[in-house]
This record gives sequence, C-alpha cells and structure tokens, in this order.
Amino acid sequence: MSTDRTLDRPWPGFRPRHWRVTVTRDRTDSARRDARQLADDRTLVDACLGGSREAFDIIVERHQRQVYQLCYRFAGNHEDASDLAQDVFIRAYRGLHSFKRRSAFSTWLYRIAVNVCLNRVGARSQKWTPLDAADHPDLREERADARILRGERAAAVRAAIARLPKKQRAALILRVYHDLPHDEIAAIVGSSVGAVKANFFHALANLKKLLSTK
Amino acid sequence: MKHLTRAEFVDLIESSPGLSTERAQHLAHCERCRECAETLRSVRSMATVDEMPEPSPLFWDHFSARVAAQLRSEPAPARAPRWSPVPFATWALAGVVIMLLISTVVWRTTLHAPSPPVPAQMSAPVDLAEMEPVDDLDNDEAWAVVRAATADLAWEDAHEAGISAHPGEVESAALQLNAAERVELERLLDEDMKRNGA
Repeated sequence: MSTDRTLDRPWPGFRPRHWRVTVTRDRTDSARRDARQLADDRTLVDACLGGSREAFDIIVERHQRQVYQLCYRFAGNHEDASDLAQDVFIRAYRGLHSFKRRSAFSTWLYRIAVNVCLNRVGARSQKWTPLDAADHPDLREERADARILRGERAAAVRAAIARLPKKQRAALILRVYHDLPHDEIAAIVGSSVGAVKANFFHALANLKKLLSTK
Repeated sequence: MKHLTRAEFVDLIESSPGLSTERAQHLAHCERCRECAETLRSVRSMATVDEMPEPSPLFWDHFSARVAAQLRSEPAPARAPRWSPVPFATWALAGVVIMLLISTVVWRTTLHAPSPPVPAQMSAPVDLAEMEPVDDLDNDEAWAVVRAATADLAWEDAHEAGISAHPGEVESAALQLNAAERVELERLLDEDMKRNGA
C-alpha cells in the first residue's frame, strides 16, 4: 500500500488557523497514467469507452505525429494540416464505438485521416509553403545553389502530387512517406492490394508526366 | 511473352517479393519493361527527396492540449449497443410463441376462416311478388285430378290409411322398382329438374 499519500480531501471539521491545507490528488493517479502510457491502443480504446477521457489524450499523444504528417502531405501547409489533424482526432473520438477491432487502431485512424483529407483538401486549392532552410538543419551545409535546386525540386514534386487523382495520391503518400505495406494501405483505403498497387503504379507514371511537363 | 503487369512493376521497383524466374527472363530480354521499371524507380526516389518540415517541439504539446480542450465539450463516447446475453430457453420460448402466433393467423385466414358476411343485397327480404311462379299449379290437369280426389280426405284419415309418406318410404319404394320403372323415374326427374332450371 502506498504510504506517501497526501491529503486528498479537505477536513472541514479540523483545521487550525495556521495550517495551510492543500488538496492534491492521489499519487496513484500518476502511476495509473504511467500504466496507461504502456497500454496498447485497444486497451486505451476500452478505457475511453468506459469513460476515461485521459485514455484518449494518450491516444492523441501517441498518434499525433503520424496523423499530422499525413495531413501535411495532403494540405501542404502547417495551419491546414494542424486543423485537419485536430478534425481527425475529434471524428475518431466521436466514432470510437464503431472501431470493430478487425484491424489495428492505427489503421482505423489512418482511414479516418485519409477520408478527412481527401474530402477537405480536394475541395479547395492548396497553399504550399515554400521550403525554409531552417526546417532542414542538414541542408545548411549544402551549397546555396544546391539547396535552392533541391527546394525547387521538392516544391515541384509536392505540386505534382497535389494534382494526382485522389486514390493515386493516397496510395503514393501512404507508401512513400509513411512506408506502409500495400496490404495495410488496402485496408485503409478500402480496396484490394492489387488495386493499391495499380494506383501506386499510375501515381508514379503520372508524377513522371507532370514533372517532365514542368 | 506478355510484358510485366502493374503489380509486377511495383514489386520489382520495391524489390519486395521479386519476380518469378520466367518473368525475370522476360525482363532480361525486354528493353521496354526495363525502361519502364527504371523510370518508375527514378520517380519514386525523386518523391522521397521531399522531406517534410518538422514543426516546433512545442507544437505537439500545444496540439494535444488543443484537441483535449475540444474534446471536453464533446459527450463521452458510448459503447456500441450490444445484445444482452439471453438464455437459450428464453429464445426457445420466444420462438414457440412466434410459431404459435403464425400458425394461428394462417389457420384463421385460410382453412378455417369464418364465412364471409352476407352482402346486404342478399340478406334483403325477397320480393315474392316479383318472382315468377315456378309452375302454374292451378292450371295443371294432373294436379287438378289429385286435388279433386283428395278434396274430401282428411289428413288424419289419410295417415291412418297409410297414404301419407313416412321417413325412408321413398327410398324403399325406389328400391322396389324394376329396371324399366327406374329408367322412367329417372327421365321424369330429369325433365322436372330441367323445367325448374336446376
């Protein structure tokens, strides 16, 4: 049993004037949180469905980077990517009861993210932020002209990817930038592995065309 | 031989499972497929060059706090409704009740359906005045002979004399007829039925 418990509720009937009673939470709370940090996603989902909002905070902390990066690949700028990522987590929270555990939680979350991105980004033009050298510390050692050339090429690739059809864009982003296997991409976009490979093939072929016409 | 399929090209440039011996031989001899694979490989590596700028480390704390704040205004996610575990006996009983209900409905609506209500037209009193007489008994000569012969005969006298019919006497009389008499009786009955429109 824990012996270093602090007062977790006020003593209304016994409190000398010179005492300053502070109300703190049981230290077992932090231990519980540490345990949750180690818990797998499905356990956290169960805890969340059982009423623990804190469990979902851990889910957000765990997956925010991947979700944000995916959103950034679709949106092309930090502000929109941040808004999209927030929307993804809110939708996931609302629809948590529909997570059937047939796939990994990350796959389910990716599916929501891809749907949100395709629906929202496809409807508006993208605002691509120019590459800032400060974002790439390793580039500082490059020669200035090489850095510029590299930045221009990256911007051209982003612009070309933004012009790809939705499914091809999703297949390319998930495969190249998130390094997901084709079968997981198929589960995310809801199609067969063959269709994903075909989309990836066409995405590369179209990217070649778009880049060569520049 | 056929060129490589799209899936085979993807497998080739990612060197995942690799090609079968037969397909690898085709690739070795097909310049077009080799060129295509090389182009795809170069485009893929070109796309990989585009690195994503990493946001500030403070961004992640800010982001998770923002999401958490937004979720505080959301109702807690509820579990999907599940079927409560009902014992098998309850399901069986419910099934029996349903079957009984169905069979009752079928029984009532098909074989043992109550007779349909008589239409209002049929239940109306028959107007005898409008009906034509089936037979004009007053002008019938045979009936006139019978009438004359029995004019003075009282019912009690006829009964005592055995003239009136008793139950089963018609059947026994018919059985006593010979073949010719039966044929004649049949003819008379047919004629009478046709005349009455039966």
